[in-house]
Amino acid sequence: MGGQVGTSRRAALDGDALLARLYVLADAVGARGAFLGTLALLLVVFYFPVGAVLATAITRGAGLSVAPVWETLTDRFYFGVLAGVLSDPQSAPGALLGWASAGFPVVSTGLFGFTAYLAVLGTAGAVVVGLPGAFVLARYEFPGRTLVRSLTVVPFVLPAIMVAVGFTAMFGTHGALNAVVGLVGLHVDVAFTVPLVVAALTFYNAPLVTRFVVAAAETVDARTVETARSLGAPRWRAVLDVVVPQLVPSVLAAVLLVFVFDFMAFPIVLALGGLRLATVEVWLYHLATRLRLSQAASLAVLEAAITLGLTYVYLRYERTGGAGTAAATVERVPLRGGLTAGRVLAVVYAVLAVVLFVGPLASMVAESLTRGGVLSGANYGFLLAQQLGAGGTRPALAVRNSLLFAVGAVVLAVPMGASVAAVTSRDGRVHRVTGALLMAPLAVSGVVLGIGLLQGLVFGVTLFGVHVSVAGPLAIVAAHAVVGYPFVVRNVAPLLARVSDDVRDAARTLGAGPARAFRDVTLPLVAPGLVAGAAFAFAISVGEFNATVVLARSPGQYTMPVALERYLVTPSLGPALGPAAAMGTVLLVVTAASFVIVERLGGRWEP
Amino acid sequence: MGDSGSPGAWLKSKFEAAHDGVTVKWRTPTSGSSNLTEFVQRARRGASIDADVYVGLNTDELVLVDQKLDSPLFADVHGDLSHVGDLKKELRGLDSKGRAVPYDTGYITSVADATALDRLPTSFDDLASARYENDLLMENAQDTDTGKAFLLWSIHAKGSGGYLDYWKSLLDNGVHVLGTWSAAYKAYTNGEAPIVVSYSTDQVYAANNGENLQKYTVDFLDDQGYANPESAAVFAGSDQRALATAFVDFMLSPSAQKHIPQLNYEFPSTTTGSLSGNFQKYAKVPSKPVTFTYDDLAGKVSGWVDKWARLVAQH
Repeated sequence: MGGQVGTSRRAALDGDALLARLYVLADAVGARGAFLGTLALLLVVFYFPVGAVLATAITRGAGLSVAPVWETLTDRFYFGVLAGVLSDPQSAPGALLGWASAGFPVVSTGLFGFTAYLAVLGTAGAVVVGLPGAFVLARYEFPGRTLVRSLTVVPFVLPAIMVAVGFTAMFGTHGALNAVVGLVGLHVDVAFTVPLVVAALTFYNAPLVTRFVVAAAETVDARTVETARSLGAPRWRAVLDVVVPQLVPSVLAAVLLVFVFDFMAFPIVLALGGLRLATVEVWLYHLATRLRLSQAASLAVLEAAITLGLTYVYLRYERTGGAGTAAATVERVPLRGGLTAGRVLAVVYAVLAVVLFVGPLASMVAESLTRGGVLSGANYGFLLAQQLGAGGTRPALAVRNSLLFAVGAVVLAVPMGASVAAVTSRDGRVHRVTGALLMAPLAVSGVVLGIGLLQGLVFGVTLFGVHVSVAGPLAIVAAHAVVGYPFVVRNVAPLLARVSDDVRDAARTLGAGPARAFRDVTLPLVAPGLVAGAAFAFAISVGEFNATVVLARSPGQYTMPVALERYLVTPSLGPALGPAAAMGTVLLVVTAASFVIVERLGGRWEP
Repeated sequence: MGDSGSPGAWLKSKFEAAHDGVTVKWRTPTSGSSNLTEFVQRARRGASIDADVYVGLNTDELVLVDQKLDSPLFADVHGDLSHVGDLKKELRGLDSKGRAVPYDTGYITSVADATALDRLPTSFDDLASARYENDLLMENAQDTDTGKAFLLWSIHAKGSGGYLDYWKSLLDNGVHVLGTWSAAYKAYTNGEAPIVVSYSTDQVYAANNGENLQKYTVDFLDDQGYANPESAAVFAGSDQRALATAFVDFMLSPSAQKHIPQLNYEFPSTTTGSLSGNFQKYAKVPSKPVTFTYDDLAGKVSGWVDKWARLVAQH
């Protein structure tokens, strides 16, 4: 395709000549060049600053020491019975016998045990809610399908305090749910309990499962289904044998990311569960606010050991999806039609989605439109006064900054993610270890990253007699890209693994350079993953708080969540949440509109 | 603190008007107490402080600062303040080293919804009784002003040897320990529980918004409330020591004391300040205010808070 150069029009010739030059450039830089650039950026804004903080967990006095980590491992508060076994292994058999003779009572698993428990429940919730959503979006055609798909990522950016407000309004003692079930004499009491926290974790992460799997489903090769059916397999059998294996790597990728996210969950757990349901990251945050930095660092090292270990295990299975091409994708069927199990599921799912996703968001909007219990425009009046008054936190500036940072972060994160996916996609232990370590921005405590950026970059270091300090808008964009790029990697890698080497080699034999082969062969297949990854990178940037606050060099470099937080802690406002809810509503509208635009732009490359 | 109508904007405009060629720049706090911890980290790493005055310091935070730093972060300025003699008697001994200058004070107390409860709790022991099971909302004592004040108040009441047993009974009784004051207060106004650890000025806000005051009944336990003064301090490394001290002194002036505390929903720290309007009517003062001074807290507060937090998180 596109082999013949048009001779009738100069413009076309110039265009193709330019493109050809770009391919030469891309071939020269190559995936390896982009990969090295990515490494350099990661080194400056991630590995160096975070490493400096984590190093305090493996040093004591002047020398290396395992003591800080060992003290954490053998502390019953953190590891429960495991700590007891570690600190006194010889007592373990006796303790085991005692436990058995006592009838196997519930044992303490410490803060890490509780965190893992919560993460397992949260991941299960995300899969149970997310997979049917993916099925509906991938299987059925209905008006607004692409809009809904674009908006799936919205929950991801919402500040925890607003989600907490929404969940209380929806599921609280006097919430909307109780108003409904109260009609039949029931009452749901879930405030400050594990089920409510799990529901909120599901709210955040089920969309991730949906989005990942939809991206993969849209590149399933329909011909494989047809082949199976022509051999006499019933439809369900063909789907099970042919489609499901192609989706498994993306499902696993989503499960891994959701588990890691849930394991590190912090603001939402704090907002809905408080200290009694503290996770490791909640505890770490409180340690940091009280400047117990080396203890916080040893917790972060253990957290990262667990999350990176899981990533490594996952990478063993990433390449199991089998080959495919995007030449012919499975046709979606209209949602309207005869009654089938699938269509019933779709309707049930829509109701659930309204309760779980739309409900909390709508209650935030409602909060922004009331003051003292009555309908009021006062909260938006407050935003306007902030915008026009001197010295206020201006909402329009926050919107502008958020969008600029997010666009910058996407522009950086997409090539970073694509190059890392390409270079680490090969099989083998070295590639898996590298791949896991490059996921560290997801797997390392956000609180520790904030401390690292402050101490390592903002305070600066002296190199060759010159004091170097890194902060400001470019540093914010770089930090956002670093935190967001793992999403691009994990979205793209499973799809990339399905690009058969034969097809790529065939293109190369026909004279296409690597960049040209990438565009013609690889890109169409990984495009849905790139777009989904870009959407997540955008969302991560818009929702990011810690690094933004730390790296802002002038008071005017605030984003939407930062403005929201400022309105929340303004003492002269009293306890009103309305102004923050109004800012949350602005954030909701701006990000929703952005996702639609990102997907429209990205959709041009989709098959 | 920079928005118009806020205490910060008021101080800036008045102080600049009185001092030619001086510009007051507020650095907006990031969140909670992390602003102070940033300065401690800067001092530890030898990074520049770039600020002259810190506003919004709690006494226990001063203890934390001293524990983490070898050389003082803040300067002794009490001797240079013209209004220091106006401080209320109970606030004069707050910091024996003369660094913290309290510019307002408030009382942390339980606030109860009298429309939902037949009888309000009157003591700490009441709160732990079956009658008030699952009824109390509070905030994390590790890093919120109100939660920390409530914990310190309970230690004042039950003693450092007995407070953990008291908290065990409170946890068994279903106390909710939320992350921030606004989360706890929001849960309270939503009716999740009828008692919240909050401020003795809560009715002022309710009155300003025309709400039912019964729902925000200030409920002092054992006739006490925990006084939590908010202080300003001058950085020891400031190259504008005289001007910075003048600014802190200005915060204690009669005109500032008539404005600043009320804008913060707090009480004046001096005898020259006064309350007006709804403050005069609805801001409550306990008959037996209690507090711990710097000297009471030094060397102890970290251990108290740590033991409490571990008890709560594993319960």
